[in-house]
Amino acid sequence: MQQLLFIVILLISLSCKAQELFSATEPASNMAAGSIGFRLDNSIMNDVNSSRTNYHLIPEILIGVSKKLMIQGNLFFSNRNKTFSAEGGSLYAKYRFLSRDAVQKHFRMAAFGRVSYNNSDIHQEEINMYGHNSGYEAGIVATQLLKKVALSSSLTFLNATDNGNNNKFPYGSNNQAINYTFSVGKLMYPKEYKSYKQTNINLMVEFLSQVNTGSGKYYMDIAPSIQMIFNSQSRIDIGYRSELSSSLLRTAPNGFFIRLEHNLFNAIR
Amino acid sequence: MKKIFLIISIAISMVTNAQVTKVSLQASGLTCSMCSNAIHKALKTLDFVDKVDADIKTYTFEISFKTNSKVDFNMIKRKVEGAGFTVSGFKATVLFNNVQIENGRPINIEDMTFYFVNTADQPLNGAKEVKVIDKGFVSPKEYKRNAVPDSGPHTYHATL
Repeated sequence: MQQLLFIVILLISLSCKAQELFSATEPASNMAAGSIGFRLDNSIMNDVNSSRTNYHLIPEILIGVSKKLMIQGNLFFSNRNKTFSAEGGSLYAKYRFLSRDAVQKHFRMAAFGRVSYNNSDIHQEEINMYGHNSGYEAGIVATQLLKKVALSSSLTFLNATDNGNNNKFPYGSNNQAINYTFSVGKLMYPKEYKSYKQTNINLMVEFLSQVNTGSGKYYMDIAPSIQMIFNSQSRIDIGYRSELSSSLLRTAPNGFFIRLEHNLFNAIR
Repeated sequence: MKKIFLIISIAISMVTNAQVTKVSLQASGLTCSMCSNAIHKALKTLDFVDKVDADIKTYTFEISFKTNSKVDFNMIKRKVEGAGFTVSGFKATVLFNNVQIENGRPINIEDMTFYFVNTADQPLNGAKEVKVIDKGFVSPKEYKRNAVPDSGPHTYHATL
C-alpha cells in the first residue's frame, strides 16, 4: 500500500500536463456536441480457476448529443462460454450538470446511468455492468483539472438482475453494490504544445473499488495505464488491472486491457 | 432637392462603417490538444468563418472571416460551448470609418448592436480592438465586475 501511495505521489509530482480521458472510468466531461467516437475495448484477464485467459471484446459507439449530454452504446463479446460469442450489450448516458471553467482549469460534475443486458452465466459475486451482468447502474462523477493534473472520483449504485438465457443471479439478495473510484492522470509529453500532430503521452493510475450492500464483501483494484493520443483525434490506452484486496468471489480480476478509440468531430449536422 | 438629400443620407447611413476583420478568443476549461482540436473543428463549421488559427499553448483561436459574410459573435461562443468549453476572452478587430462612440448610444457593427461601456466618448477610425464583455464572453469573475445587463442575441457590450 505504501508503494502505491508512493507511485501516486510520484505521478502527481512529475511535471507536465494532465489528461482526464481515463482508461477504466469516465470523466465528468463529455465529448463535443455533434461528434462521434468509435471505441474497441479489449480485456485479457487471467482466470483464477484455470490456466485459461478470458478475452472480452467490447466495440462501442459514442455520440455527443449536446454540450451537456452524451450517449454510448456497446456490444459485449467474450470467449468465456468456450467459443468466442456475443453476450449482450449496454446503453450508457452521461449528463454534465456542473461546469466551472477557468484557463487550464475546470471542476465538473456529471450524472450517468447504464442499462445492461448479458446472456452469459453468472460466475462471480462481483457485479459488473460492463460485460458480465444484466441490470442497471447510476452514479455521479466529479473531475478536477488543474493545469497538468486531472483528478476524478465517482460513486455508482449497481443493481444486478438475472442474466438472459435463464442464467439466474445465484447470490440471492446480494445483487446490489456500490462502486467508488479515484483516478489521477498526467500528461507526460509533449512538454509544450506546438501542433495538433504531436503525439500526447499520458500516465494514469486508477483505484477501482466495490462493496456489496447486502453481504458487505468488497474488492479494491489498482489500474495503472499509459495512453497515447495521435493527431489530437485517436488514442490507444494500455493498462493492467490488478486486485489489491478482495473478499468477493471473482473469477478473473487481473489482466491487461487495451482501448482503441477514434473520434470524428462534427460528424452530425 | 430635399428628397435627394434624404435618399443620400439614408444611403450613407446604410453603408457599413464598421466591419469585423478578425476575432481572437481564448477558451477555458481545457489543457489537452484533443480538446483544443474539438474547438478548432467546431469553429470551422461556421459558414461565415474563413480560417481558424489555433495557438494550443495559450488556448487562443484567431478567426478570420469570409468577405461579405455576416459575422455572429453568439454563434462563435456557442460553438466553443458545444465543444464542451467556455470563452474567457473575446477580442474583435473592427475596421471603423469615422464612427462616433458615446456612452449609452448604440453603434452598429455589421448586423450587431454594440454599447460601449467605461469608454471615453471619441471618434473611431481605422482598425481597433473591441473587447466583448457580455456573459459567456469573459470569465464569470470579470462579468460580475462589469455587471452589464443581458440584452438579447444581437446586442453586445464592449470596451476598447
